[in-house]
Amino acid sequence: MSGKIAIVGAGPSGCFLAQALLKAAPGLEVDLIDRLPVPYGLVRYGVAADHQGTKAVSRQFARVFERQGAQFFGNVTLGADVTLETLRAAYDAVVLAAGLSQDRPLAIPGGDLPGVHGAGTLTRALYDHPDACALPDLGPRPLIVGNGNVAIDLLRLLAKTPEEMTGSDLGAGPGEWLAGSGIEEITITGRSPAAQAKFDTVMIKELAKLAGVSIRVIGAGASDDPVEQKKIEAVQALDGIATGPRRITFRFGLTPLAVEGETSAEAVRFATDQDEEVLSCSSVLTAIGFGPAGDLPRDALLADARDAEAGALAPGLYATGWFRRGPRGTIPENRADAQALAARILDDLKSDPDKPGRAILADLAEAVDYTGWTRIDAHETEAAPEGRCRAKIATRAEMLRRARQEERPK
Amino acid sequence: MKITILYGTETGNAEMLAEDIQAELEGENEVDCLNLSDMSPSDFDASRFFLLVCSTYGDGDLPASAQPFAEAMNAEKPDLSAIHFAIFGLGDSEYDETFNHGPKKLAELMLAHGARQIGERVAHDASGDDMAEDLAFPWAEEVIAQAGEALGEAA
Ligand SMILES: Cc1cc2nc3c(=O)[nH]c(=O)nc-3n(C[C@H](O)[C@H](O)[C@H](O)COP(=O)(O)OP(=O)(O)OC[C@H]3O[C@@H](n4cnc5c(N)ncnc54)[C@H](O)[C@@H]3O)c2cc1C
Ligand SMILES: Cc1cc2nc3c(=O)[nH]c(=O)nc-3n(C[C@H](O)[C@H](O)[C@H](O)COP(=O)(O)O)c2cc1C
Repeated sequence: MSGKIAIVGAGPSGCFLAQALLKAAPGLEVDLIDRLPVPYGLVRYGVAADHQGTKAVSRQFARVFERQGAQFFGNVTLGADVTLETLRAAYDAVVLAAGLSQDRPLAIPGGDLPGVHGAGTLTRALYDHPDACALPDLGPRPLIVGNGNVAIDLLRLLAKTPEEMTGSDLGAGPGEWLAGSGIEEITITGRSPAAQAKFDTVMIKELAKLAGVSIRVIGAGASDDPVEQKKIEAVQALDGIATGPRRITFRFGLTPLAVEGETSAEAVRFATDQDEEVLSCSSVLTAIGFGPAGDLPRDALLADARDAEAGALAPGLYATGWFRRGPRGTIPENRADAQALAARILDDLKSDPDKPGRAILADLAEAVDYTGWTRIDAHETEAAPEGRCRAKIATRAEMLRRARQEERPK
Repeated sequence: MKITILYGTETGNAEMLAEDIQAELEGENEVDCLNLSDMSPSDFDASRFFLLVCSTYGDGDLPASAQPFAEAMNAEKPDLSAIHFAIFGLGDSEYDETFNHGPKKLAELMLAHGARQIGERVAHDASGDDMAEDLAFPWAEEVIAQAGEALGEAA
């Protein structure tokens, strides 16, 4: 089968989709376009620096380029470097796999005070994303709002001692920031009772290994449901762990009402079952989900979709991954989603030999191809210092230089 | 030797490894490669040697693609006493309490139905330094050598 397919976003969804398409139809021309000069999306910039095993999935993605023949067009932004209309005119099918990168705002009074930070913003800075802002000062007592896996990631990273980051790909700057954070106490709050918290039990069990913490669990509650019971037990098992001075407190059933503070966040007022409660803090970290970056007309596209559930937006236009489903689901779910969509696309595909396909991207002088990425990758792994598996390049300019094998300007 | 590689996977690492093992063994052997989700307990064939490759998910559970197979085994209770298998596991030592429990459960399931295991279960660690294939290729070679004798005796 022949046909030209452009996938926008080289995160896990885009890569799994290319894998499935090319497995079923090796003759396709599949191009993965990403706004970053480097591929793999949140596998590189979301999955925690101390979870390298999870990042190993990128070995599969490398094969999509190296053996299955997909092409990478990095540093190409849909909406800026190329429009959706142009892409749709040039390819037989276009798939939006652009993820959701914007932190959902804490929509309560004071939610925009200085000292309130979103988990996406913070993790991008921690993981040396080229568009990240500087790492903020969190003060001695950050408070985390949210009870999903991302909230637990944040908690674990902030709680770890520098020695516990051995083997990670945490950069030098973020490493110093963490080591010098001066954090004394972290409170993590969830709206639901522990039984219904969104985090996975294994994420909680992992916290039992922390080397420098004293953990308290308040109000984990009870349940008759065996699955919920397991979750509660895992949380309860953390209570009383005392391996070091950094205090961690788990609280449940707290719905944030307002962030209080004169010039920056100093406390959060919550609604509880019976009443209200105010917890003081030095900063607020929100991990309450993600939304679209706003550069693509996602809402309109989904609203008008022919079959949103299947990811079919319009003739020759599809969506997959977080972009389609919302900010839920781990890497495996994106694979299942992508495999189902691949079957649908192949079913629909009508190849038009007159479509130019990737030729329209040829003029983009700043685009980074897969070879460019392998140069960045090789440099990053070779430059890894003692105790690290990689030293990420943190700026776009340096990535582009490495991709082109240019020397640093003197 | 006639070999069937069966993989249980959730994000595809076990599938990629299974295909690598197939490519490595082909030529000298006749090798099939199949997702456990497409395998029925009644498909086991005593003239073939079964190489199982399986990852771990959740809290030490079988990966998604192996679960329907496990359910079918429990429902159909096949007699696998003439079947020889070896098993290679994938997991991540970050989950130390349940490290490689998926393949452990799969091996137990095979043994519970009488199948005979060749060699030790080898466990790959996604957080370790080894590439899965660097462990799996020597493992496959060794269990195939051992299976030659066992299947020969059985025949
Ligand atoms: C902090 C965090 C930690 C996580 N940890 C885990 C974990 O440990 N395990 C797990 O299984 N899952 C984890 N997840 C979930 C997992 O990351 C997602 O399920 C998955 O990344 C979604 O894949 P995706 O391809 O849809 O989106 P993404 O991974 O976000 O990929 C989207 C890609 O599109 C590109 N893009 C965006 N806009 C444009 C544009 N206009 N033009 C061109 N390209 C564009 C982006 O640069 C990006 O590369 C985590 C998520 C977060 C946020
Ligand atoms: C959500 C999740 C849970 C996991 N649970 C375990 C576990 O309990 N024990 C283990 O050894 N590995 C666990 N793993 C690691 C996987 O088994 C490992 O990454 C493997 O390479 C995945 O192979 P697959 O892509 O074939 O599914 C887990 C991975 C994820 C993402």
